[in-house]
Amino acid sequence: MSKKHTKLIFVVLPLLIVFLFLINLWYGSVVISWIDVWDALMLNVNANQASKIIILQYRLPQAITAMSVGIGLSISGLLLQTTFSNPLAGPSVLGISAGASLGVAIMVLLGGVVGASFSGTLLILGDMAIVLAAFAGALAVLLIIIFVSGRVGNAVTILIIGIMIGYLVSAIVGTMQFFSSSEDLHAFVLWGLGSFSKTSIVQSIWIFITTILVLIVTMWFVKPLNALLLGRQYAVSSGFNVKFLQSIFILISGFLIALGTAFTGPIAFIGLAVPHIARTVFRTSNHRILLPAVVLIGAALTLGCNFISKLPGYDASLPINAVTSIVGAPIVIWVIIKGRRMSNG
Amino acid sequence: MDSSHLTNPEGLQTASTLNDRLLQVENLITGYKLSRSKILSLHNDINTSIGKGELIALLGPNGAGKSTLLKSLTAIIPVLDGNIYYNGKNLSNLSRKEVARLVAVVLTDKIDDKYLTAYDIVGTGRYPYGSFTGKLTSSDKLIIEKSFKDVGASELKNRYFHSLSDGEKQKVLLARAIAQDTPIILLDEPTAYIDSPGKVIIMNLLNDLVLKQNKSILLTTHDTELALNYATRLWLLGKENYFEDGVPVEMIKSGLINNLFDREGVVFNKRNRRFEKV
Repeated sequence: MSKKHTKLIFVVLPLLIVFLFLINLWYGSVVISWIDVWDALMLNVNANQASKIIILQYRLPQAITAMSVGIGLSISGLLLQTTFSNPLAGPSVLGISAGASLGVAIMVLLGGVVGASFSGTLLILGDMAIVLAAFAGALAVLLIIIFVSGRVGNAVTILIIGIMIGYLVSAIVGTMQFFSSSEDLHAFVLWGLGSFSKTSIVQSIWIFITTILVLIVTMWFVKPLNALLLGRQYAVSSGFNVKFLQSIFILISGFLIALGTAFTGPIAFIGLAVPHIARTVFRTSNHRILLPAVVLIGAALTLGCNFISKLPGYDASLPINAVTSIVGAPIVIWVIIKGRRMSNG
Repeated sequence: MDSSHLTNPEGLQTASTLNDRLLQVENLITGYKLSRSKILSLHNDINTSIGKGELIALLGPNGAGKSTLLKSLTAIIPVLDGNIYYNGKNLSNLSRKEVARLVAVVLTDKIDDKYLTAYDIVGTGRYPYGSFTGKLTSSDKLIIEKSFKDVGASELKNRYFHSLSDGEKQKVLLARAIAQDTPIILLDEPTAYIDSPGKVIIMNLLNDLVLKQNKSILLTTHDTELALNYATRLWLLGKENYFEDGVPVEMIKSGLINNLFDREGVVFNKRNRRFEKV
């Protein structure tokens, strides 16, 4: 990839994001004209009140959340793939999303079992309770992983332990599902399908700011990330404390996964796929390019998926988790086959 | 066997009187901690040194612990006991960054990544210096260009590393070590998997680094005959704590080389410096 091409893509991608962002505001079950979208965004006093509410309270937070979570999951996928030097590493493998599910399952499913008093609390706390439960569950698994990675240096071992914790947690969740009432089960399944539309405008802005702050922190680690691509021992010989860095990268990616999953439910595929897409598009593994690349591609892809999920035009949109997989899996297969051919030729 | 760790007096003299001792090894025990109570020690009590402008070949049969010793010297793996001094400073008191500015390595580890260019790889040699952000400064870039030139691989700069031949990869990794700008370079089997002319090219490059840039080089190799043509000193490493340090001529004369690779039906011919059938 020549430098010219790289620069060109870095100009095109932000434009694409702006375009997809606006499309997300404009399109939905209610048709709103571009002029009304503009008036609403500019907080114009004369704007159509109905469309103003739809844009500012529903579509804008949804788009911001989609973009932020896309960025967060993509960064975490990149960090995990480099840390574990494993192309299959992603948010789901470390068991962190499973941890979030467990948190929510305890709140939603067990809450029903324990009794009405609990459900009452749930009603008062509402969605925020689920967010907190997901966050707590994700962080709990994250802490276990960090504890393990402090004792076990070997990245592959940590990865396998992460996968095992994931299975274990999923089994517990499965058992709880078996014993829960159908209404609770329905609520839990809905959460598991994922949605970007559960956040308020304030929450979505906070998610965005937090994600950008984490991104800025991550930018300081471009050198050690590159050094890790050469393998552990070369990274050590380049003057890096690999064990410490490993914990830092797990912490950063775990936090991003917890943040995203808490507010939107588990979002499949983005974290795994975006780094692969970025490598193939930019034809580099250098994190100085790859890190901004996954940020932009992650944002564009989730905005695109969110738009597609609204395409049927019904009141309710398609579950985002299904869309990311249906749209994404073929892209990854295509990207990997194309990348193979190019590198062989 | 017990006194074998006592260094050849002549070899030691070359190191201490003619050169500054860049690296000093005292009572080093190499090996691995298998568990909390179990220890696998490969060599007890290694005493030796590396001086300025030396090209030392570390020879020994498979499994003798050559790579272990090499990695112990750079703190890639911890030592079981003993002291390693760089310019008189104890390795255990140096930060990783300080170590990375004193010694560069070329390892046998495979680099799997598909999209790293040769330039990216050599660029990591500059990481112990300068900024945090991963942006290479203009002086970094000059050093990288020069390192490519030193190994005669400037045309490989923008190639993907994984698409290179084994010989080309070795050159790029050597360029990375040169870019790291350290007084000492340690190489683990730099001539393995390379065809015969390629091996000579690599050894010539290393020799040039010693002669022209006054670097000190320690390399492990199984190309004993080739190494004897270039090495100013030999470290012989065998099983059961065997360690011997000396100059090639002496070690050939005294039959130490022959003893180290003690195989039935093969002897080391002292005159033409080759292994031959009996």
